[in-house]
Amino acid sequence: MFDQLEVFRTAHSMAVHAGARHALAARNIANADTPGYRARDIPPFHEVAAGTTGSLRTTRPGHIGADPGAARAQPAERAGALSDPNGNSVSLELEMLTAVEARRQHDRALAIYRNALILMRLSLGRR
Amino acid sequence: MSDFSDSLSVSTSGLKAQATRLRHLSENIANADTPGYRRKTVPFEQAFGAEGAGGEVRTGLVSLDRSELERIHDPAHPLADDSGHYEGSNVDLVIEIADAREAQRSYEANLKLFDQARQMSSALMDLLRR
Repeated sequence: MFDQLEVFRTAHSMAVHAGARHALAARNIANADTPGYRARDIPPFHEVAAGTTGSLRTTRPGHIGADPGAARAQPAERAGALSDPNGNSVSLELEMLTAVEARRQHDRALAIYRNALILMRLSLGRR
Repeated sequence: MSDFSDSLSVSTSGLKAQATRLRHLSENIANADTPGYRRKTVPFEQAFGAEGAGGEVRTGLVSLDRSELERIHDPAHPLADDSGHYEGSNVDLVIEIADAREAQRSYEANLKLFDQARQMSSALMDLLRR
């Protein structure tokens, strides 16, 4: 556990992903009344982490795209969204849901990070 | 961190745009009985260039509604023509109120997201505080 610190890397990329998803939800909501705007979203974290989104999978840290912070999921237009007569496809309800989901994911990632940090401190004999 | 500041600035632009829309709506409602007043409409557009890198929204140029003015029959009115009619405003209060309600709803959604982004970044800061 202590030579790789996988927990910290996973928690870090989870928090980065939550932040990016929240920023996209904020952008969608700000543009909820802009004619012709298409809602955008990135795939949920479990799909990104499992590598099923078409980006490169890495088996060693030296590989291309191995940095969890750098391997950002690319935003894409939300599939299957119905659009208004003016071509806007933002649904406020759906965006609120995405934002809350991102918020909870971020809280979860920070809780994991904090607890791993406490564990490290305990193992060092300091509190 | 940059994602959060993106979030905050985009939400702020949304708040500003909705507030501008609400201001024009209240101008329309205040002038509902002004003779010859045409209702103002304000379009939303995505900001491009330096200020719009993060997908901010802004309000475009205000335009006047070109629909027919309402003709009101009142021969005693100083503005009345030969047939005893004068031109009122083309403001429809029902439309204005419905639009105002929608603006309020969008404003609240933007505010909620702003608050969430703020809380998320302050939770991140709490990690350092120990």
